[in-house]
Amino acid sequence: MNAPLIKLGRAGSLALLFFLPAPIVVIGATSFAAAGYLRFPPGELSLRWYAEAATDPRWIDSFLTSLGIAAVVAVTVTAIAFAGAYACHRLKPRWLATFELVVMSPLFFPHAALGVALVNVLALSGHLGTATGIVVAHVVCTLPFAWRPIMVALQRIDSEIVEAASLLGADERRIALGIALPLARSGIVTALLFSFIISFDEVTVTMFLTGPQVTTLPVQIYAFIQENASPVLAAISTVTVAVTLLVVMLLERLIGLEFFVAHDPA
Amino acid sequence: MRGATATPRGLGWLLLPAVLVLALFLGAVALLFLHAFWTKDGFSLAYFKQILDRADYHEVFLRTVSIAAIVSIASALLAYPIAWLLWRLPKWRNLLLVVVLVPWLVSLVVRTYGWLVILGPKGFLNETLRWAGVIESPLPLIFNDLGVVIGLTHVLMPFSVIATLSVLLQIDNRLEEASESLGAGALETWRRVVLPLSLPGVFTGISITFLTSMGAIVTPILLGGIRQKMAGTQIYQEVVYNFNMSKASAWALCLLILSALGLVLLRTVEAALVPKADK
Repeated sequence: MNAPLIKLGRAGSLALLFFLPAPIVVIGATSFAAAGYLRFPPGELSLRWYAEAATDPRWIDSFLTSLGIAAVVAVTVTAIAFAGAYACHRLKPRWLATFELVVMSPLFFPHAALGVALVNVLALSGHLGTATGIVVAHVVCTLPFAWRPIMVALQRIDSEIVEAASLLGADERRIALGIALPLARSGIVTALLFSFIISFDEVTVTMFLTGPQVTTLPVQIYAFIQENASPVLAAISTVTVAVTLLVVMLLERLIGLEFFVAHDPA
Repeated sequence: MRGATATPRGLGWLLLPAVLVLALFLGAVALLFLHAFWTKDGFSLAYFKQILDRADYHEVFLRTVSIAAIVSIASALLAYPIAWLLWRLPKWRNLLLVVVLVPWLVSLVVRTYGWLVILGPKGFLNETLRWAGVIESPLPLIFNDLGVVIGLTHVLMPFSVIATLSVLLQIDNRLEEASESLGAGALETWRRVVLPLSLPGVFTGISITFLTSMGAIVTPILLGGIRQKMAGTQIYQEVVYNFNMSKASAWALCLLILSALGLVLLRTVEAALVPKADK
């Protein structure tokens, strides 16, 4: 009946879908072109841009800084979110809805405004331009993303298991670490990987906070684009895409991607 | 007696780290107000006057709001068919979701750089068109508002897909079956059943993408060039080049107010368009 129409709709939608990775595919292709730009017919392939990036300490340093900051942020924010979400889940305070609204509120802040606000506060404590300052800022930005998967996972735990453990004499520490922690692991792994990748790739807020001593890879890429359009950028960019792809595949393997499109069980 | 129903004690401390993080955030917002309103002569609107009195700044605000509006609506329209496709192809959903999520999570500076490589004067597109003999001189695709709109729309589309898809997935299959067994075709079922039910997701997408484009800095600077200023680029300039935190804070508050107004307007439109669920 409407079969041709549906087929047409599908083909059009698929074309739109493959428009999404287009720029990163173009960058990836450019990074392997010896000439440093794409052309028809494709020229000689080479790894020279990767070799050039690997011998430049600016790229190595900022790459390692980004990995380190992202790892510290992921572990810190996940621990904070688990502790907080667990307490909220068990205590069910009357102000829970309000509190969660505050937890989510950084999401509703345009990044430029969030950047200025964080500069103001980090300048007070003298942490502007330090790795600690960037970590603190990223923890603020990623808390909503870590909180939600953990809260959802906690809500899925059968409350009878907790009651049974409590009746059998398990103390609060045992319930938290022996029952809730392992049973909520899907939320915890999601929070870890999700906050890692957001921190690793964040640029808009971070560019307010870097300094001569510390800079992250995305901010270094931004600075480099402005001063020099060398194809080394394509190689570096492809490395960040590879890291992101790796984390997404890891998440898909370990937990699945349903979390991103699932609604909170309400 | 200590039973399972008793309120567990001693757990409140676990909230402390999260409360500290939120206190830091709220403190940062409070400082925004302090810096914006406090001069050496006390409370004053001087910084806001500096901004609102300048005609060239009015243009910046107008450009910011217009670009954010165009981008958020364009990304909702372009994302809808993608979300629909993922919804209709459950077997392929996981794989196709990777195609959406990876571009979303890749740093936006990298995605913007990709558009620079594609749309630049000596970029992939212009060179290809010239090679094919379609054009003689490169088309001006970047360093103007068009470049900013293309870049931002692409950067924000994955989020719109996710917001729309998560609502589509909640639709009860039986509603569609009922509509089709009552004789409605696929298009009519979509228009009268699926579309109204998916609008809340579309509006969530528009709200977030509107906020994100209001506060964008990197894409406007790299694809718009120096003259195409937006509120975000102006704020960044005040902080990083002029070290004027008071003016930057006043700018940030203006941006917040405009964003809030935009959201209120969106809510009003949504309330008028989305049918109330009868419960």
